[in-house]
Amino acid sequence: MIELVDLTKKFKDAYAVKNLNMFIEKGEIVGLLGPNGAGKSTAISMLSSLLDPTGGDVRYDNKSIIKSPSAFRKVVGMVPQEIALYEDLTAEENLRFFGRIYQLRGKELNRKIDEVLEQIGLTDRRKEVVKKYSGGMKRRLNIGVALLHDPEVIIMDEPTVGIDPQSRNYILETVKRFNEERKMTVLYTSHYMEEVEFLCDRIYIMDKGNLIASGTKEEIKRILSSENTISIKAERFSTDFIESIKNHPSVNRITVGEKEILIIVPRAVNMFSEVIRIAEQFHIELSSVDNKAPTLEDVFLHLTGRALRD
Amino acid sequence: MIGILLARLKLFVRNPWTFLIFTGMSIFFAFIIGSSEMGGSSIYVPIHSENETIRDSIIGKELAKEEAYSFSWMSEKALKDKIESGKAELGIILHENTFEVLVGVDSPNKGLVQQTVQAAYTKKLQQEQLIDNISTRSDKDKIVEEFTNLRHSPVFKMKTSSFQNEDSFVYDNSLHSLFGFTLFFVIYTIAYNVLPILTEKQDGVWDRIILSPVKKWEMYVANLIYSFLTGYLQVVVIFLTFRFLMGVNFYGRFIESLLLLIPYVFSIVSLSILITAVVKKAQQFNAVLPIVSVSMAMIGGAYWPLEIVSSKVLLTLSKINPIKYGMEILNGATVYGYSFHELLFPISVLVLMGVIMMGIGIHLMESRHV
Repeated sequence: MIELVDLTKKFKDAYAVKNLNMFIEKGEIVGLLGPNGAGKSTAISMLSSLLDPTGGDVRYDNKSIIKSPSAFRKVVGMVPQEIALYEDLTAEENLRFFGRIYQLRGKELNRKIDEVLEQIGLTDRRKEVVKKYSGGMKRRLNIGVALLHDPEVIIMDEPTVGIDPQSRNYILETVKRFNEERKMTVLYTSHYMEEVEFLCDRIYIMDKGNLIASGTKEEIKRILSSENTISIKAERFSTDFIESIKNHPSVNRITVGEKEILIIVPRAVNMFSEVIRIAEQFHIELSSVDNKAPTLEDVFLHLTGRALRD
Repeated sequence: MIGILLARLKLFVRNPWTFLIFTGMSIFFAFIIGSSEMGGSSIYVPIHSENETIRDSIIGKELAKEEAYSFSWMSEKALKDKIESGKAELGIILHENTFEVLVGVDSPNKGLVQQTVQAAYTKKLQQEQLIDNISTRSDKDKIVEEFTNLRHSPVFKMKTSSFQNEDSFVYDNSLHSLFGFTLFFVIYTIAYNVLPILTEKQDGVWDRIILSPVKKWEMYVANLIYSFLTGYLQVVVIFLTFRFLMGVNFYGRFIESLLLLIPYVFSIVSLSILITAVVKKAQQFNAVLPIVSVSMAMIGGAYWPLEIVSSKVLLTLSKINPIKYGMEILNGATVYGYSFHELLFPISVLVLMGVIMMGIGIHLMESRHV
């Protein structure tokens, strides 16, 4: 089991991560959610022993990773947010290089390269230099490199940033398969709520360096059990209408889009009639007013007052 | 560590353009700027005499033997034109028993050329006095022949050395250009091979390697060995080109010149580490490197000899500049024929600079999480 105990990182006067407490059980997929700048990358840098914390500890099987990182490093695979590959080398040459530094040699290395290429679906393109690959293929190879030494734990830092939906689905399915087939422990950070909902057993939500919620998907959604999320759609909204909704005493949170406004209100309040009344007052032609089932995105909005991708 | 070196080698083979471009530029610039005297490595001196016999006399023969100067016979008008147009620093007009020196640029070469011509006249005088004291014609020919033989095969040789005065220095333009441009362009080759440490840290490749069983010191050593070898290979290729394709003889100290460059290449690897540690992005590196390298080349005497610089500020700055010591080593080994012992000071300074810059550079890199 991996435990983060009061993990803190301070850069000059600002806390990037403050008193973070987390645990990850063996074979679990745990999501770490948060907007840009929430402190996710700093947290996983400390977790993977690449960055020394200002305070706190990270423990793997009850041994401190901070004091003695070598044992953990042998069993961890890291998928960084960036494409951490040599773009002038082929996929096979990249895998061979990273395999060699993990002390794989000869037939064993060749077998692992074939296996990983098969798993990430790049066997046919193994001889092509990486710079000719699409964004999705690079991301797949980026993951493949982390799998070469059969890690027990894999840490993925936003592995699907900037790729097409098909590649994204492929990666998500692959991660799920690894977890099921190899019982691999996965820490998955993202700011795509739907990825985390699809993949993760448990979720931690971070904002501004602090942990603001944690639990299973259901537990987190239950945070909104006393509230409703209402979606208001129209071709356009006037400023007066938005202000009036925003200032309504029953509205706890509001997110304004071009053609959709989301509001979070207490479950006991009948907001439908209020919305229609205000729309008539400001001559807004509504196309729909719906009561939405709460999503993790709604929870995040409720907790932080802003959307995840802000 | 071997794995990292092999990967670097593969990347080099796949993309050798940085190396080839800077090697080519070194050769091109050194050839163009030093080509006026390439191969001969001597100072061009136009020479004229109204008396045609002087050219075939002992004076003409002695001057023709000179290796340090290339005396070129021409008309008086052509001689003056060469001086006026700046193609020659000075010219010599020879008379029966005396000579004139026409000076265009008042350089230390004036005194050295004057001494050489004076020596030729002295030999002529010695020979004439010898002949005057001999009575018969048959004796004359025999004794002159004997005298000439003795001059070429003396019973014992006497070597004289003299301290150079503060204003005089020996300047070999072709070698200076070759050394200067080699030391200048190799900075780029080395620096662009150190830069991947920065980009790999930003791309996460460095982190991946840190998480592997490879030790951090191995990562640094592998990268630095590779940068050193690439820079040194460039120097070897340039020197080999000039030695065997263009006939530059390095005053017979070719191998020594190559070996003595090792401390310079080491100090430039360290300088590149320091620059890489100070900048935050590759774009900043690309902006800083030309500023540092060009100013170093100017202050360190890669483009022109430091002996003609009179500014005390520039001369003081040159003392913390690896190029100055690199040029000192190369010129010392070749033009001045210094021994290893005499070159120990610039070698030690370069090694010290290398150690200090490497230490600070790696410390800065490690203390900053990129």
